[in-house]
Amino acid sequence: MHRAIFPALFAAGVTFLLTCLVVGIRLEQEGASLTVVGADAETWGWIAFAVIGVFLVQLLQQPLQRLRQRLPTADITGLLPNEMLLHRLKPWLIALVVSGLLVWPFMVSRGAVDLATLTLIYVMLGLGLNIVVGFAGLLDLGYVAFYAVGAYTYALLSEYYGLSFWMSLPLAGLLAAVFGCLLGFPVLRLRGDYLAIVTLGFGEIIRILLNNWTSLTGGPNGIGGIDKPSLFGLEFSRRASEGSQTFHEFFDIDYSSGHKVIFLYLVAVLLVLLTIYIINRIQRMPLGRAWEALREDEIACRSLGLNPTVIKLSAFTLGASFAGFAGCFFAARQGFISPESFTFIESAIILAIVVLGGMGSQMGVICAAIAMTILPELAREFQEYRMLMFGGVMVLMMLWRPQGLLPMKRPHLELKTS
Amino acid sequence: MTETSLYVLQQLINGLTIGSTYALIAIGYTMVYGIIGMINFAHGEVYMIGTYTAFITIIGLFTMGVSSLPVVLLLALMTAIIISSTYGYAIERVAYRPLRGGPRLIPLITAIGMSIFLQNYIRLAQGSRDLAMPALISGGIEFGDPDVFEVSLSWMQLIIWGVTLASMTALALFISRSRLGRACRACAQDLKMANLLGIDTNRIIALTFVIGAALAAIAGVMLGLYYGTINPYIGFMAGLKAFTAAVLGGIGSIPGAMLGGLILGITEAMTAAFFPSEYKDVVAFSLLVLILLFRPTGLLGKPEVEKV
Amino acid sequence: MKLKHGLFGNTLIATGTLIAALNAQADTLKIGIAGPVTGPVAQYGDMQKIGAMMAIDRINAAGGINGMTLEGVIYDDACDPKQAVAVANRIVNDDIRHVIGHLCSSSTEPASDIYEEEGVMMITAASTSPGITEKGYQLIFRTIGLDNLQGTLAAEYIQRNIKPQRLAVIHDKQQYGEGLATTVRDLLAESGTDTVMFEGVTPGDKDFSALIAKLKRNNVDFVYYGGYHPELGLILRQSREKGLDTRFMGPEGVVNSDLIAIAGKAMEGVLATAPKSFDQSPENMALVEAFKERDEDPSGPFVFPAYTAIQVMTEAMGATGKTDPYDLADYLRANRFNTTIGEIGFDKKGDLTEPTFEIYTLHTDGSKTPVSQ
Repeated sequence: MHRAIFPALFAAGVTFLLTCLVVGIRLEQEGASLTVVGADAETWGWIAFAVIGVFLVQLLQQPLQRLRQRLPTADITGLLPNEMLLHRLKPWLIALVVSGLLVWPFMVSRGAVDLATLTLIYVMLGLGLNIVVGFAGLLDLGYVAFYAVGAYTYALLSEYYGLSFWMSLPLAGLLAAVFGCLLGFPVLRLRGDYLAIVTLGFGEIIRILLNNWTSLTGGPNGIGGIDKPSLFGLEFSRRASEGSQTFHEFFDIDYSSGHKVIFLYLVAVLLVLLTIYIINRIQRMPLGRAWEALREDEIACRSLGLNPTVIKLSAFTLGASFAGFAGCFFAARQGFISPESFTFIESAIILAIVVLGGMGSQMGVICAAIAMTILPELAREFQEYRMLMFGGVMVLMMLWRPQGLLPMKRPHLELKTS
Repeated sequence: MTETSLYVLQQLINGLTIGSTYALIAIGYTMVYGIIGMINFAHGEVYMIGTYTAFITIIGLFTMGVSSLPVVLLLALMTAIIISSTYGYAIERVAYRPLRGGPRLIPLITAIGMSIFLQNYIRLAQGSRDLAMPALISGGIEFGDPDVFEVSLSWMQLIIWGVTLASMTALALFISRSRLGRACRACAQDLKMANLLGIDTNRIIALTFVIGAALAAIAGVMLGLYYGTINPYIGFMAGLKAFTAAVLGGIGSIPGAMLGGLILGITEAMTAAFFPSEYKDVVAFSLLVLILLFRPTGLLGKPEVEKV
Repeated sequence: MKLKHGLFGNTLIATGTLIAALNAQADTLKIGIAGPVTGPVAQYGDMQKIGAMMAIDRINAAGGINGMTLEGVIYDDACDPKQAVAVANRIVNDDIRHVIGHLCSSSTEPASDIYEEEGVMMITAASTSPGITEKGYQLIFRTIGLDNLQGTLAAEYIQRNIKPQRLAVIHDKQQYGEGLATTVRDLLAESGTDTVMFEGVTPGDKDFSALIAKLKRNNVDFVYYGGYHPELGLILRQSREKGLDTRFMGPEGVVNSDLIAIAGKAMEGVLATAPKSFDQSPENMALVEAFKERDEDPSGPFVFPAYTAIQVMTEAMGATGKTDPYDLADYLRANRFNTTIGEIGFDKKGDLTEPTFEIYTLHTDGSKTPVSQ
């Protein structure tokens, strides 16, 4: 123990230095003059608490560690039933989850359904980015650019040409894919972090262009009055627009505002299921295998005759197209979009979803997307501290489980020796 | 001199000033990247904390009745360096060291988390309003023809140049001459080998974070005095720009960071000078993309050798 | 005497509380107050909150409305359009049919869509973007003037009194600032004053030296700035340091004590269009005192508009005896109201019929003097 006392004192000293000035003393602006005031006793109490806490934790590090070793380690995978059983039950499980997803919104409140819709958008974005970052191992910090392209595609098409959501959806995906391809082509020969910074720059460029190109995009004013999706031409509004019919009139039921929210949610579920299905198929195709091979060893891939540029480009393009779909749906859900929805922090959140979930793992990405959108909602009571906790949890999660919540499991065969 | 050349001179002065602070912050990115190959996204926040510390010290000293400006500024600079370095050290110790050796993306995420955390930590401790301080050092020299165009060069700009030059020289000397500097270079070349040869690599990595933070703090104090206002959100954009500068010059290369910072600053000023200034950032990022396309490792970066 | 007064007051308050408590069991009417509680513009959300809460408390203390007590429920949209939609849906879900908010125009716009559709009345006390009421909504109102009104006022003033030879219009590339700047430029162009420089700056930027050198080079003799105080403050400060003495004019977004803090002496004499300072008007003195008693600052630009929003809403409830938003909307459009922001009425779109802006010269000591026009 006595050997631990100096590191512990050191750590406590560091903690004191970290807090004493920026927390212990507060700058106050009164008119033109700036003054300093000492923080109140409670704040100093917290500082003392932090310093003593760090000291004790450092001092008792070894006993604590021994104690922790005795505790069971966090192994979520152990909670799942064994693989064979899981495999056999898989179709049933999927059916159960899907039917649950479809029935659930009719039983809960409108706010919850709306939140679930938002979550599904992030699930879609996370899955799309997962192709680029998780499968192909290309660090993309400007993913939000494609999301913006998708959203603006629908908004502009609906504003200038009156195209419906269902018409615009494939176009939005296509256009985002074209952007992905255009950006990807020159930059994919860059490696690792250079790629990251160029994509980051690209994300910013798109946002600033959207903001500056006032004549087309409305600049910072954004675009409003974007139509909601319809069900085979049936609208979900209280009164039908000219030449069409509303959902409640057609089925002769009372108008309920909930219908629209639930319909949007169901559309989101449909899109997410489609995304999962497509990605799952591609992952098992030669292309999907090539992505992973490329991530593991580019030189080996080249020597096997795979063309890295084409493979990377396909990952980039596909990832971008899913962001385009998500963006198109986002525009429909919002009814109004402006460049401020597409800032760098949005890219960072999507990336955090992918990494927190466990890169490459679809299940993990879905879980992380749910956690990332619902946790801040639950933490609303802490209002002030919400973003602080968000950042803190991101750090702690990575320290606790660097491989992510549900890391990707590769299909593998094992020879059993009897 | 003609009107245009005077105008260009003025914009060069402006660009050099902002560019030299970019360079100071960029060094923190480039040194960390050079040794452990990670992007320390929280570096911009360290700069922001340095600025806050300087403000607190300056106002605190004035309140205590210390009226000698050089003493106040020197003390503020020292406090900012100490506190920011402590933050640099603590961030590395808490958020990055436990993850060393793992996949490279993981520390990037903790860095983004750390950045969000620190930003909100300062927001909660100090409020989200813009805080402002009257100019402590004002005035300057003006030259050129008053009838054509008058170029102004403030004392504060001269001080920023001087301090940047001094810090850079000190850093260059430290890296090239001292034992620790040599150890830094060794780590940058090959971390594992350096470790095998008996260099305490953990200590050297911590040192790079501390040096980077100290330089960011110096930039923070300078910019704090120059602009006179702070808020908890200034770290993000400054960090992004400095990072761009580091990549522009070739990340991992210290002279590259200096060059990148200056080029970025001057490009921004020149763009604002001859085009609508709202396109300043677009041009800055496009320049980055272009340079990377033709020189994928930045201006002064060493070409990466592919190892099998 | 004093003691007696105090006793009487206490009894009154006690009775008020009792009534309120009884009513609370019988009937409460929830009013949503939606705006940023967190995020960088939380201070403006606070202005709206204290104004609305004060009105609610005073109405409750006076016995409520139609036998109901009001309850303000705070929702946080963090000024994020995405959150604003979620908040609007939550409000509809919580069965709240009267909303004060939202604050930022970019949040108000998507949210108002939902409110109109779902039959919720919304009165914003802060969103000034003209686009919000342009869609012919029935239930959306505001108790604050529009951007273009400010722009018109500023342009007229510049044309008549300043007559600049070389005018520059600078803005911050945001909805509010750019909208104003465009209005001013276009109106002045119509009346024959050309703008020699029309440029945007990046919000949050600190370095304006390049812009200032450009202003100097263009020999600009008057600058209109569309945007908020942090950028204008820095532009002013850096301009004076670099020997640019041009006069500046800004909208209500720059009228903030922080402008003085940032720009210091450099802000003396800046012109600004601002809502009449309601906390200075003699009729509101009692209310200002009430705010001071609660240790709240009544001088923010959105405090009294928010108070007024509750005031007109409840007045309509009292007069019609109903709470149905459609009835209230008809009443609001048909009548005139005597409120803390003066006598007002609403036009067909839901906007105020009379401008509430005036032109002021700002001073370093925080005061502002009306400019004779």
